[in-house]
Amino acid sequence: MSSGDELAARQPRAIRNALTVLEAVAELGPGATAREISTALGLPRATAYRLLNLLVQDEYLVRTPDLSGFALGAKVVNLARSAAPRWVPSVAREVLTEVRTRIRGGVHLVFYTDGRVEVADEDSDFPLSDPVRLTREPQRYALGRMLLAEQGRLDVADLDHYGVTRQIGEISPEYACLAVPIRTAAGVLAGGLAFSGPRHRVEEPTAVIAVLMPAAQRLTPMLT
Amino acid sequence: MTALQRAIAQPDPVHGFGIRSPLDGLDRRSVGFADVLAQSVAAVAPTAAATTNVLLIVTSLTNGPVVLSTLAAALFAMLTAVTINQFAKRMAATGSLYTFVSKGLGSGAAMATAASILVGYGFVAVFALLGGANYLQLIGQRLWPSFAGSGVVAGLAAALAIVLTAVLVRGIRISTRVALVVEGVSVAILLGLLCYLVWQIGPLDWAAVVPPGGVDAAALGAGAVLAFTGFVGFESSATLGVEARSPLRNIPRAIVGTVAGTGALYVLAAYTQVAGFSALGRDLADSRTPVHDLAEAHALGNIGVVVDIGIAASFLACAVASTTALIRVLFSMGREGIVSPRLGRTHPRLRIPSAATAVAVALVTVVPLIVAACAPVLWDAMRVVLCVSAVGYVVAYALVCAAAPLFLRRIGELTFWPAAGAVLAAVGLAVGLVIYLVVESSRSNAGVWLSLALAAGASVLIGWRLSHPVPAIGTYDEPTASEVLGGVAGDREPGQRKPEPGL
Repeated sequence: MSSGDELAARQPRAIRNALTVLEAVAELGPGATAREISTALGLPRATAYRLLNLLVQDEYLVRTPDLSGFALGAKVVNLARSAAPRWVPSVAREVLTEVRTRIRGGVHLVFYTDGRVEVADEDSDFPLSDPVRLTREPQRYALGRMLLAEQGRLDVADLDHYGVTRQIGEISPEYACLAVPIRTAAGVLAGGLAFSGPRHRVEEPTAVIAVLMPAAQRLTPMLT
Repeated sequence: MTALQRAIAQPDPVHGFGIRSPLDGLDRRSVGFADVLAQSVAAVAPTAAATTNVLLIVTSLTNGPVVLSTLAAALFAMLTAVTINQFAKRMAATGSLYTFVSKGLGSGAAMATAASILVGYGFVAVFALLGGANYLQLIGQRLWPSFAGSGVVAGLAAALAIVLTAVLVRGIRISTRVALVVEGVSVAILLGLLCYLVWQIGPLDWAAVVPPGGVDAAALGAGAVLAFTGFVGFESSATLGVEARSPLRNIPRAIVGTVAGTGALYVLAAYTQVAGFSALGRDLADSRTPVHDLAEAHALGNIGVVVDIGIAASFLACAVASTTALIRVLFSMGREGIVSPRLGRTHPRLRIPSAATAVAVALVTVVPLIVAACAPVLWDAMRVVLCVSAVGYVVAYALVCAAAPLFLRRIGELTFWPAAGAVLAAVGLAVGLVIYLVVESSRSNAGVWLSLALAAGASVLIGWRLSHPVPAIGTYDEPTASEVLGGVAGDREPGQRKPEPGL
């Protein structure tokens, strides 16, 4: 499934079965055993076990530490992301390129869709440390904190002071991250533009904010 | 909205996973498929075994059906590999076979497996260093006729030991890559030569495959047992459970791929040698170096040196791969507290199991020096070492195959065919071991008695260890909370083990 090397048009049933297995694990909850899953699906046991092992091998499922139960792997998030990638217009990409030439460090663009973070344009020179983790543990990332603050789940003093969110040394001690919001005309949080780089440039953020804020304002009509 | 979409959008917190792997400290998920495959292939040392296997059969058995025996051994090795994969596709563990056995047969059998596989990896590493030194000396002697004697071999073994040490301390990415390149070159040389010889021999000679007088079942079985020893080591990539990327997919593929690839190479090599000698009207059993003799007969006299370089390289790769596996089994035993917990330490920068590396490298490098310097006839000493190694591997394989159905039943995934295959493999390996010991003792190989003595010693040690509080055996590379959708880290210590001392 991941590499696509074994995927052929004549195997649609296998793909449908694999997705059905993922559905069943989501439905039954973490810790469901192979036998429970095969019963729930009405699949022959040997078939269900083979599918389960294939999904575990590709890390869409994980086995619980006692080896007899299953839970959804963090990688299933990729299924949702790859299903409908958001389109970033080329004018917006030009703005991003310009910002990247002006700032030494990573510049990333995300959308906030259905209450989760969706990476829209990752800086290929300074890739995100772990995009999956950004989705899963938003409180550890500046971009995630922006979303949590919007949802009222987190108080962020930086938003009042600077209009940004920050993360310093959470992921790796030497680095930090800063995010500015992109809002629709109605004021709804639609996306975020983030800088990641050495921690001192985030601890003293005015220079970075001076570049990101105007860029975010220019991006707003292109993206919302 | 389906259950899956809901789970992705708003993951429920999932508890029960650790923040780190219990085998933390290694270079986790750093080695790709090609290097994982190289670990298994190099441990088998196919270039060296492709010719020695045939010699072993023709010198041990009169009228043994060489090609059919090799084919039967390949099929049986595949059955063993598929059974080992019942574990390897469900869990990733540096302890490899002994961790697998612990999940089916419990602590005592797990320790017996650990002892067996340590003997297997350790002795084959010693054998490979001696073999490499031996071939280098033969190559040198062609250039300088006075390049001989036990001192020269011991010096070459010391040089190889230094290379081995230098490669292993550079970290797993370097050592698997060295094995990949060296073994790749070595196999390419032999394969090229074999293809050329088959083309020279001409149309398929069925009499070389099926002897005209019919096949003697006993000779076929005994030949297959001897040929099987040429496959051992194929499972060694399982010791990279922590370091491999996508281990539950790549390791099973590497194990099966190694058996399929080396099996095809062995069958081709066996056919080439039997058909080649029959075409020349000569007796294969009279030749000490059949591939050389065939190359000379087809006006490729100097290619022999190239093949010898390939074999020496294959031995070096085998020493690297076998020691890599040995180190990881020792490391796992240290982490679990079966042996001194100090062996479970890792180096913070190199991310290798530093203490286990020091112990393993010391053992596998010093022993060959002593053997090379003291053995009156090097090849006799090497036969003893190889025999002990093969016995270690086969005992460990038999135990892991016996454990497979019990493991599958315990996790509620037992189905008919895997169980039937596992039982057949376990019984076959046990019978094969007896046949092997009988054949080797009839050739008065002292390795048989050394194996039995080691087995007795290991039994005493395990009995003593079991009379003391035994730790929970079976630590494997559990998924971390970050790999689980909604996984909440830090609920508990990973695995059953305490965090690593010294970190």
